[in-house]
Formats: sequence, C-alpha cells, structure tokens
Amino acid sequence: MVNLTIDGKQITVSRTATIYEAALEAGINIPVLCYAKKLLPFGACRVCLVQVEQMKGRLIPSCTTPVSEGMVVTTTSEEILKVRKTVLEFLLVNHVIECPVCDKGGECDLQELTYAHEVVTNRFQGEKFNLETDEVNPLIERNMNRCVLCGRCVRVCDEIVGYGSYSFINRGFETKIATAYDRGLNCEFCGQCVSMCPVGAILPRPFKFKARPWQLKEVDTVCGYCGNGCTVTLGVLNNKVETIRFNDKIGVNDGNLCIRGRFGYSYVNSEERLTTPLVRKGGQLVETSWDEALQVVADGFKQAQAGLGILSGARLTNEEMFLLKNLAKVAGTANLDHSGGECYKGVTEGVAGALGIAASTGTFPQVEACEAILAIRSDFYETHPVFGMVVNQAVKRNDAQLWLVADKRGKFAKLPNAKNLLHRPGMELDVLNGLARVLLDEGLAQTEGVEGVAELKQALANFGSDQVAARTGVEADALQSAARQLAAAKKSAILLAYGLPYTAYSRELGVAAANLAILLGIPGRDGSGLYLCGEKANSQGAIDLGIVPQTGGLGAQAMLDAAANGKLNALYVVGEDMLTSYPDHGKVEKALEKVPFLVVQDIFLSPTAAKAHVVLPAATFAEKDGTFTNAERRIQRVRPGIPLPGQAKTDGAIIADLIEKLGGNLAFTGSAAIFAEIGRNIPVYASVSFNGIGPQGFVWGGEILTPSRRRLQPIGGAVPVEGAFQLLTGSALYHSGTVSTRAKGPQAVVAEPYIEFGREDAKSLALKDGDLVKVAGNGVELRLKVKVDNRLPKGVLFAPYHFAAAGINRLYKGEAAVSVTVSK
Amino acid sequence: MSEAVETATAEQEIDLAGANEILDHYVDMPGALMPVLQAIQEHYGYIPEPTVHLAAERLNVYSSQIFGVLTFYAQFHLEPRGKYIVRVCKGTACHVRGANRIGDTLKERLGIGHAETTEDLKFTAEYVACIGACGMAPVIMVNDATYGSMTVQKMDEVIEKYKKMD
Ligand code: SF4
Ligand code: SF4
Ligand code: SF4
Ligand code: FES
Ligand code: FES
Repeated sequence: MVNLTIDGKQITVSRTATIYEAALEAGINIPVLCYAKKLLPFGACRVCLVQVEQMKGRLIPSCTTPVSEGMVVTTTSEEILKVRKTVLEFLLVNHVIECPVCDKGGECDLQELTYAHEVVTNRFQGEKFNLETDEVNPLIERNMNRCVLCGRCVRVCDEIVGYGSYSFINRGFETKIATAYDRGLNCEFCGQCVSMCPVGAILPRPFKFKARPWQLKEVDTVCGYCGNGCTVTLGVLNNKVETIRFNDKIGVNDGNLCIRGRFGYSYVNSEERLTTPLVRKGGQLVETSWDEALQVVADGFKQAQAGLGILSGARLTNEEMFLLKNLAKVAGTANLDHSGGECYKGVTEGVAGALGIAASTGTFPQVEACEAILAIRSDFYETHPVFGMVVNQAVKRNDAQLWLVADKRGKFAKLPNAKNLLHRPGMELDVLNGLARVLLDEGLAQTEGVEGVAELKQALANFGSDQVAARTGVEADALQSAARQLAAAKKSAILLAYGLPYTAYSRELGVAAANLAILLGIPGRDGSGLYLCGEKANSQGAIDLGIVPQTGGLGAQAMLDAAANGKLNALYVVGEDMLTSYPDHGKVEKALEKVPFLVVQDIFLSPTAAKAHVVLPAATFAEKDGTFTNAERRIQRVRPGIPLPGQAKTDGAIIADLIEKLGGNLAFTGSAAIFAEIGRNIPVYASVSFNGIGPQGFVWGGEILTPSRRRLQPIGGAVPVEGAFQLLTGSALYHSGTVSTRAKGPQAVVAEPYIEFGREDAKSLALKDGDLVKVAGNGVELRLKVKVDNRLPKGVLFAPYHFAAAGINRLYKGEAAVSVTVSK
Repeated sequence: MSEAVETATAEQEIDLAGANEILDHYVDMPGALMPVLQAIQEHYGYIPEPTVHLAAERLNVYSSQIFGVLTFYAQFHLEPRGKYIVRVCKGTACHVRGANRIGDTLKERLGIGHAETTEDLKFTAEYVACIGACGMAPVIMVNDATYGSMTVQKMDEVIEKYKKMD
C-alpha cells in the first residue's frame, strides 16, 4: 500500500493504482477522455493532467502515472484548468461539430467536457476533417470527422475482443482510425467499439435518430441468448426495445457483449410474434380464447396421463421451470426433460458422476488470472463469446498459455500463445484421454483422494501419445507438452461448451473432461476451474431445477422415439423449435406427426408450432420477471422491460393456469415466492432471497465449488469418421439457437445458411463464395451456398445449425461428424 | 456481407512463395515486422495486399496494424511501382524556380501525378522535398540519376530518353 495526498486528502491505495484511480477512490473525479476502466492505460488525450509536487515544472497525465509514497497531487488549479481548456480547444479544431444531429448528444464526453470547461470560442482555426462516413454494414456507422483519436476503439477491439479491426493510420493531420486498407467495417459486430467511443464517431445504426438518451427507459436484465448470462440494459421507448445500452456497472461482463446480445434484440418487437392462442379445428390452426385453449390442453393432458411428455426449452426462468416440474407432478407424468436433452448429459451424468456436482466449479472472472487454459471444441468462442473475451484477456494481458482441442483453426487459434491440438473431426475424446494418459504415465497426476485410478489406467491402455497421434492427427509431442504445461500451472481452467448441435459423445466428453480436471487437481482449487457452459441462457437453471427425466420417466430422445412409435399420448413442448434445432429431422417430424396431442408454447409460429394441436403464445426474456442461472452458477435477475404483445402470457402464467385446470393448487404466486419455494427444495438456492440478488447476481456454492468426491470414470475413445469429406455442424458466432434468425442484427450479418470450406478444398473443387453445391450424406442431399474461409483443414466442412431453411438436421443425425460427398 | 466489401477483399493473384520464404526467416524473431515489410517490398517492388494478410497471420498481428505501419512510413508502397521512379523536387528552391511546371509537364506527357504509376508499369511520379541539389534547381531524379536546371523542353527530352529504354 502507498500513502499519498490528493487535493489535501490523505489516502492509502494499492501500489498498482494510478493517480486517477487513487483520486477516484478518494471521491475526487479527474476528467478523462481516452481512459477507460477496462482498457490498459494509454495516455493520449492529456485531458486528465494534474500537478504533482515531486514532479514540478510539468503537468502529469493522471491516468497513466502510478502512485508513489508521499506524492502530493493537485487536481484542479488555474494552470491545470487553462491547459485542459487548451487541450479541448485543440480537439475541437478539426472535430466537426454537429451535436444537433449526432446521436451521441446528451452522453458525449467531449460535449460534457467542453461544457464543463466553458470552451465557448476557439482561439485556433484549422481545417475540419471531411472524411466519408463508413456505412457499408447495417449495424455500425463510423463517422471519423467526429473522432478525437482517443484510441479506445482500437484498444477494445484488440485487448478484449481480440479481433483487431482498427489501427491508427497515416500521420500528422492525416492521422485517423481505419480498418486494414481503410475499407468498410466487416467484423464480429460485437459493438464493443460503439460502447467505448466517447464521442459520436461510432454509433449503432439500428438506433439512428430513434431517441435521445434521456428519453429512454433503462431496464437491467439478462441476455436471453446464451449461458454466458451477460447483463443487458434494455433501452425502451414507447414499449419497444429500441437499443441495448452500454452498462459496465453491473453484471459479469464488464459491459462487453457479443453481436447477439448487442444487436439481436429486435425479435422481441417483431410483428410476427404470437399474440393469441391457436387451436386446430378442421385441420387448421385458428385463433381462440385462453379459456378454450387451456381447457383443451388440460383435457388432453388428463387423457394422456402418464403418457404425457414435457420438454422445456431454456427460455424459461428458474421460477417457470419450478412450476413446470410441478405441472408434471400434477399431470402425473415422469416424462420430463429440458430440450437440450442428450447434450446436457456431459454435465448431469459425466461431471456429476465424477465430482458429485452438475455445474462449473469456478467463476468466469477467475479465468483471467489462469496460467494455463484448455478449451475443448473450436466453437467455444462462437457459443460463449463474452467468456471467450475473458480468455482473450488472460492470454493477451497475462500471458496465459492457451491449449485448444479443436477441429478448426477458429478465433482462439489466432491468439498469441495459442496452441491448437488440431484433430480429425469427432476425435476430441481421444485427445482428452491422451492427455490424461500422459499425466498418469509421467507421474504428473494428482491422485490423492481420487477414486478409480487403477480402472482409468486400464481403460487408457490404448491411449499412448503415439496411438492417439495416429488416430487423431495431433502430434505426440504437442500432446505431451500440453499435459506437462497444464500440470505445471497453479491456476488453470478447462472449458467445454455443450448444446444442441453437439450431441455426440456428450456424456463421454463430460467424463473425459472431468477425469482430466481431477488428474490436474483443478476442481476445488483456488483460481482453477472446470467450466461446462450451456448453450442457452438458462441451461444451468434447468439442470439445477432438475428438469430431467423423473424416476422411471423418458428423456427427450426417448420421448421422441416413443412418439414416433405411437407410444406417447401427448407432448408439451415449451420454447424449442425441435424441427429446426434437433438432430435427425426425419425422426422429429415423425414423432410430431404421430403423437396424438401436441401442444407447443412459443413466441413464434415455428415449424414445430405449426404442427401443434394447440399453440400457446408466450413471452420473451424482455417481458419476464424472475431469475436465470448462468454457466458459472450465477443467479441473476431477469426484469421485464416491455409489456406482452396482444394476449400473450408469460410461460409461468400459462403453466400456473394449467396446474389449476388440472386440479392442482399452488400455495405461492409471484417470482419472489416461487424463488423462496425453490430454496426449500433445492438447498443451494436457499442461501439467497429473491430480493437479495444484487447487481452482480449471486453465485450459488461460492466462487469455488468444492466437489463432494473425485471419482475417475473409465472411458473409451471415439469412432473415427471415414470419408473424404466430413461435415461438422455447430454454432456460428453471430447466432444462438434458432431465435436469433428472427433478429435483425444477426440476420444483417449472416442472413442465410451456408456451408464452409477451407481454402485448400475450395481451390481443388474450384469453389468460391456464393456458389451452390450439393452435399449428400446419410441418404439425404442438400443444396447449400458456399463460404470459403481459412478455418477448416482439408476434408472438413462446417454448416451452422440455426437455420430452418437449410435442413442441416435432415443430414445430421447426431453424429460427431457426417461423412458426405460434395458435387457442383 | 455487402458486395462492395466482397469485391474489395477479392484476392489479388500473387505468388506468395517469396513472402513465405521471407517470413520463414523472420517468424521467430521478436519485432520482426519492419524488416519483414522491407524485405517484402524489396522482393515485390511494393507491398501486395495478400502479403499483408499473410504476414499478419504468420506474425500474429492484425492486418489493420500492418496497414497502420505501412501508411505511417513514407518508405512503403502499397501499389506496384514503375520501373523508373521520377522524383520531382518541390522543395523551396525548386518551387521558386518553377518545379510546379515540371510536375505539370510530367502529368501532361505521362498522365501521372504524385504517387501514381503508368498503366504499363514503366513510370511512377513522386513529388519530394529538397533532395539537396538546390544549386541546380529545379531538379528531378530518375531512379539514381539527377537532372538539374530543368525546363519543359529538357523534361521532354528526359521522358523521351526513358520511354525508349526498356
Ligand atoms: S464491432 Fe467488435 S469486432 Fe467489430 S470493430 Fe467493433 S469492437 Fe471490433
Ligand atoms: S472512433 Fe471514437 S473511440 Fe475510436 S479513436 Fe475516435 S473517438 Fe476514440
Ligand atoms: S449471447 Fe451470450 S455472450 Fe452474447 S451477449 Fe448474450 S449472454 Fe453474452
Ligand atoms: S485520459 Fe489520461 S491521457 Fe487521456
Ligand atoms: S529544393 Fe529542390 S533540390 Fe533543394
């Protein structure tokens, strides 16, 4: 700690603090422009100048100067104010002043500083910039005439996003911020640069001229897309979500978002939302009253009895899932599962079997300080971009060693220090087993208090580094050094994402990852963690709440099998478009057509809903009150920002009505009461009350979750996929599930399905972007648009699973990779 | 993405073997960017766009950063350059003695202004600051040869001379 005096105040701060930070702690606000809390100090604008007695003769930038013992700092004096004013005057020389038509007006740092320092006239005259506005893309507009060259956009895109769109180009008066070759922006469109720009030089286009900031109602809630659980602050105007506001004050994401959270909101305002209940009459879905709809559903459920199956999507809040579980009980069925079904088994069976807990053992922010990180599956950044940004920072700022078990050269592979254990499609399991075997062979494994060591050793007989290398294509040396480095790190993390397009070996991968974590001593160790990240906003909630097959009941796939074979009486699907998102379209279709009574509760008339006997219009995250639990066990408040459209109801309200119609009675109403009831049933949720959930949420089980046991589970390898071309499916960064395909932002960037080829294959097949190709496999042929990129090794193809029209799931039946042929 | 972006990023046909060889040599050296770019320019005569993306990938930097460096230093050329670089001095002494007329003549005869290159890749014009031969102002240089006391007529002669050469 260091003692110093600022404006006469004696203070003690950490020795790593800067003068600016120290002042802030003492409640003294020094004006800044290029400084941003989450970025490294830069010192470009000189707005933050202060006087330091020990450094007489010049003014010191407070945002870059570290404190030292006995420092005496003055933050305001006539001289300082004069210099600050001059700095501002200089900034305004070339800056084109058009506040009346600039969307930043009212929250522009330059405007505020100019006002505060009463810069009314300018002693300096100079040429104004006259640069063209970048409006090539539909999401972000760049007007460099308003730029003050603070470099915040450059730095955030590099330091946090790891994309590196921008750089300072040219010099002197010509200096400006540009992309490579000064082209239109074409990037991840995460919008971090928008949120970092202190002036109106980078603005969100969908919000252009919509409102002044003070007209917006702001509502803090949780992003409805992925398990990252980012805080989003809805900007609401006239009962519509018009934008997502930057907010780094609360939540886990430091104000960082991905394109889905930042620009993927428009679906909630969509004209296509379901607004009335529909019931099938004479083969047609027709509008009906809630009374009739609920009665038909209740009657159908009563008739179905134990033959009712219930599938819950992860759009539901914890409170709603709790009600759903109650509904299953009242309806007398044990067939309950969350829509993730198969793919959640890595957590609910794999990790639970190993550690006695079905969740990540650490929290996201801890990963920033990890020395070694192993990310399994190349798509991790795509499924959980903002957690991915934490990894970026660990690698870029703290020199963490990043190892990837991946089938592509994805985004992570481009980070400095990243080593990609690039394997043949579907062979993750073998690589993980190979790593475990190295640890055991070389005596690097932590085996104290660990069960099943001998059994695992036996099971790994065929996983020597050379054998694994031959099967997976990962070099034996690389495998060994990865294992050694991971073992040497005091703080390390293993990351594995799960979700609907990754059903193959789901349980096995959970087991293999847990084995590895145990052997590395990760679970329960300070600063280390095994992270299993669910695809959807409340995937973890579904697991916590026990939305799994009840004793003797069927799981998701078993329900579909039963339905397809005429053995399920009724199916109630809440918030999942299975026809689009589930593997094996044919089977799903047959199941939905054969089941005598199908109820779909959703926000759009999805292909699945179109097959229903009754359709119940439900709510989006932006209309709900309750809690989500993210992939690090953080329970966060979801708050309604807009009213429900038409007669739509929240999922919770619908389920409660159904419980009543079925003769059940609920002793609790309202989210707070239900949350309390959850606590009575699930002890880890009892340690916080609904209203006690603070702005950072509440992590159940604590920052580090201690496992109740360490049990290695013997596990085999994967079956290699044959064939010259192997098709992978999965998530694309710009989308999440199927909902994002109804959102303008993601659609503006990736509007349609495609099939991705690596450069090498594209060259040998003479394919270029936009060509149509026939892809055939599993007896099905699809025509898809070609996209060429440099991520894929030879023979590997990728197609995202989000798009209903593509029909990828006609071809993909849940395999790790599908052997396909390609022709023009 | 929009069509504008697509066409803009369309790959230039260029043999990357030379650039790869240069990168092989420097890839593990810290701070290798400047020497790499200089070597690439030496090899190709300018910095072709595909080599920028290649260098970015192999040196683990962003293309945008390389572009920043390339535009900061006047020594780098982003376009192919002519066989003969005609430097027209626009320093004070030359300016006073009619450098603008010399530049204009070049423009009239060959159609190229500052930093422009003829389509046949024979000539590139460059307006430069004082080249230290003020005594003979106005001055031009063609590659390494200096020509002083230039007039429109002398300019024509010099241009003709180089036009005839290969
Ligand atoms: S939107 Fe994101 S990726 Fe694109 S330039 Fe801005 S910060 Fe970089
Ligand atoms: S565009 Fe905005 S963030 Fe980027 S340098 Fe200019 S003022 Fe700063
Ligand atoms: S989709 Fe996931 S990573 Fe993106 S903003 Fe939403 S919660 Fe965050
Ligand atoms: S805020 Fe300190 S130099 Fe810009
Ligand atoms: S000004 Fe032209 S040579 Fe000096």
